[in-house]
Amino acid sequence: MSPEQTSLLQGTLDLLILKSLIAGEMHGLGISRRIQQITSGTFVVKPGSLFPALHRMEEEGWISSFWGDSENNRRAKYYRLTKPGRKQLALETRRWGRISWAIAQALETS
Amino acid sequence: MPLLAKVQSFLRNLLSTRRADVELDREVHSHLELLTDENIRAGMPSKEAERAARLELGGIEQVKEQVREERLGNWLHSVFSDGRYGVRQLRKNPGFTAVAILTLALGIGATTAIFSVVYGVLLRPLPYPNPNRIMAVFEVTSKGRPSRLADPNFDDFRDQNHSFQAIAKYNSNIVSISGSSQPTRATVAGVTPGFFKVFGVQPIIGRDFSTGDNKKGAAPAVLVSYGYWKQYLGSSPDLSQSRLKIDNAVYSVIGVLPAGFQFPPDVSLWLPADLDGENTSRTSHNYSAVGRLRDGVTAEHANQDISSIARRIHETSSEQGDYLLKDATVIPLRDSITGNVRSPLLVLLGAVGFLLLVACANVANLLLAQASVRERELAVRSALGAARGRLIRQFLTETFLLSLVGGGLGVLGALLGVAGLVALAPENLPRLESVSISIPVLAFAFLLSTAVAAGLGAFTAVRATSGDLRKGLEEGGRGQAGSQSSQRIGRAIVAAQIAITLVLVIGAGLLGRSLMKVLELNPGFRVDKIVTMDVSLPWLEDPKAKASQGIFFSNLIGRLKQLPGVRNVGATSGLPLDGGGGLPDGMFLLMTQNEVPKNFDGFQALTLQKERIGNADFGVVTDGYFQVLQIPLIRGRIFDERDGADSPHVAVISDSLARDRWLGQDPIGHTIEFGNMDGDLRLLTIVGIVGDVRYYGLDVPPRPTVYVNLFQRPRSAISVTMLSDADTQSVTTEARGILHDLDPEIPTRFRTFSQVYSASLGSRRFNVILIGFFGITALVLATIGVFGVMAYSVSRRTREIGVRVALGAASGEVLRMILGQGLRTIFVGVAIGIAGSLALTRTVESLLFAVTPTDPLTFGAVTLLLVGAALLACFIPARRATKVDPMVALRYE
Repeated sequence: MSPEQTSLLQGTLDLLILKSLIAGEMHGLGISRRIQQITSGTFVVKPGSLFPALHRMEEEGWISSFWGDSENNRRAKYYRLTKPGRKQLALETRRWGRISWAIAQALETS
Repeated sequence: MPLLAKVQSFLRNLLSTRRADVELDREVHSHLELLTDENIRAGMPSKEAERAARLELGGIEQVKEQVREERLGNWLHSVFSDGRYGVRQLRKNPGFTAVAILTLALGIGATTAIFSVVYGVLLRPLPYPNPNRIMAVFEVTSKGRPSRLADPNFDDFRDQNHSFQAIAKYNSNIVSISGSSQPTRATVAGVTPGFFKVFGVQPIIGRDFSTGDNKKGAAPAVLVSYGYWKQYLGSSPDLSQSRLKIDNAVYSVIGVLPAGFQFPPDVSLWLPADLDGENTSRTSHNYSAVGRLRDGVTAEHANQDISSIARRIHETSSEQGDYLLKDATVIPLRDSITGNVRSPLLVLLGAVGFLLLVACANVANLLLAQASVRERELAVRSALGAARGRLIRQFLTETFLLSLVGGGLGVLGALLGVAGLVALAPENLPRLESVSISIPVLAFAFLLSTAVAAGLGAFTAVRATSGDLRKGLEEGGRGQAGSQSSQRIGRAIVAAQIAITLVLVIGAGLLGRSLMKVLELNPGFRVDKIVTMDVSLPWLEDPKAKASQGIFFSNLIGRLKQLPGVRNVGATSGLPLDGGGGLPDGMFLLMTQNEVPKNFDGFQALTLQKERIGNADFGVVTDGYFQVLQIPLIRGRIFDERDGADSPHVAVISDSLARDRWLGQDPIGHTIEFGNMDGDLRLLTIVGIVGDVRYYGLDVPPRPTVYVNLFQRPRSAISVTMLSDADTQSVTTEARGILHDLDPEIPTRFRTFSQVYSASLGSRRFNVILIGFFGITALVLATIGVFGVMAYSVSRRTREIGVRVALGAASGEVLRMILGQGLRTIFVGVAIGIAGSLALTRTVESLLFAVTPTDPLTFGAVTLLLVGAALLACFIPARRATKVDPMVALRYE
């Protein structure tokens, strides 16, 4: 990931994580796969970006975590959306809508 | 996120790091397992599934470190751990640590000490309310120089200005205060009402002067300083009975000023000015003036205001000539107090800054050598997941530790240094009492240490972590990775060090040579074996009373001549080199025998005839003065017993005056009128010409001087000069006894003339000693720097040298190779240093005497000295290189 992208993706990543957790609680790999799925493979989130983001968002209070068993009975840390997290998702969604609309506008004007 | 949650998370991270770390570890491992499972399900064999999972994960430790970096509250924890690690690192290399800390302590300590002087003298606000509103007011002479004010001019400034809420004039006089057990000589200020309002202070007891106190014939009143009140008036709150006898008049003490108020400096008593009425002349400059700006008025504004009043006076005054003001100027009081010492102090600060740079360069080189030793450690840490930023922070932490400890030691050193500086400082350095290691100075030292730490840390960190750190692991066995470029940087640092040192030592050399040139000058008098005795009688106006003072001095001198060991005794109104004030100067008139002006109006009228006018300093002396100081008689005679009080008054003039005013004529026998200086309008007949004397300073050219005879023109304050073979102590004791015998109420002060002479060189000596010290220290540091870099380079090249020797290189060739490398560095440094000196020594030009800022002798000698020292520093490692045994060297490592 080149440095120019990082700043843009920072907010995007948070948004995508929140969005994927809407479906219910998930462990890290699950979130990563879910993002890949809902973006049709456009975003592949590496653990090196995913875990720092998860921990940061947990400290922000948007998500909470607990230990549970995976589908093949592995212990894994699960994350779920909190109430402030839902609020944040709404906020981020609106913001993103504005940005993408604005960018689209900008690109249409010749 | 709410603040509470933030604090909680912060504390959690701080307190339960270990648990959080274990959990993080479990999480990442479980992620790896999940990934592996996924791959197996996709049909990979288990080995390959795990490998692919690890590849996707991208390093367990790296991921963990990235998470830790992200965590809120983590930074403090990592600062602690960096700190602990740093301390461990530093303790592992006690030699390196000690040298680095001491070098930084030297640099930071010296800079802090000099800064404390600069701050105390130049920057510290005056200790009064809104001190930057207090201005000094000066007339500007026809030659464009600031001068004191004449009474009517001050009155006009006071009455016509629109800029000052308070403005006052003041002067200071030495008086004798008697009545108590020991008569004392004290400096008192004569001030006009409003003086204390200018400073924003009020008496803590009693009252301020009112306009009535300054009226001619008012009852004499005096205000005293807090210190004087405590020491001499017993801190009594009731002033109604407090009286002081000052120069024969009795003054009532009407008020006590708050502690800490001391202006003009050294004054502890304030009297009303003009008790004898104002001087009506616009060309007698007897007062200084201060004012407090009105709210909203700028200094610039006030300057224009006063200046326009002054120019109006210049145009309309009936008194014209060189002594009438041409303009006036307003400058902040603090700047007017420190104007003369500003540039020397800033030069000192610059010099010590250079020393600090040289010291930092040495530490930078040490750190560089350290960093290349630690390349493996860095490579390992980075492989284990440390981000580059984290490593940089580690370096910063270490240099911060070094600089703060060094800075702390430096401040301790500066505490001692400041005491030394104050003791060494020349007498004429104003505001010396406000020099101390104060809070702003400590803040400066802290900021300086921080800046040094940041600079050094950033430098080493960037150096050490640039490039691919993993190379350190690959080449780790040899420990040579990166050494080529770090040695190049090391040499660049040394070259810079040499350049800075050269500038510093050349500066010191120029100042030193100036001092020597000053000492070589012929001052026009002898200095040794002379004891001086300042005597001041009460100041008197009445001619008859003044005559009695002449008789008093005649008796005193007569009895002093009888003392054993005393060869001759003289007296003068002003000693050469004493405090830089010199003799008062004025305008005299050339007259013919019979045209004595009846009064000062007559004198003024004659000054309009330009061809009569001459300018000269005015000295009141006895014949013995010329003999004791061995001021040579060039022609004619000096005063003798013919010149009694009632005989025709005579004058002796200096050689330069004879040449100036009587070019191609013989001045002997001519008469002059110089009564404006002492109020006696009798004409003076010139009877002799004596050699020139440098009164104002050894480095100031002598000024034309007229000497009159103390026994014809008596005055109240003189300095007696005794040429004595006996020791100073016994002469002093006996002379004091004689004076006490004549009048026990007269205060006196004894010095040797050598002390006076030596004090006059004080500021020059101060600069030479300090900049010399900085230069020598920088030279030692730079030499160590050269030695360090060369020794390091030789030890790094041991293998290479071994190979060369094994292949047949003679030891002379090895020596030449190493020395050649050192010489290139030295020459680059010297070249830059000379260029820098040519550019920078101009800033000290005002401090030089009879030496140009580009003095080739100084440049040459200093360059030779520096190259010599640096070559010596190269030679030792180079010699070691020639002793390399190829067998040992090749087995090395």
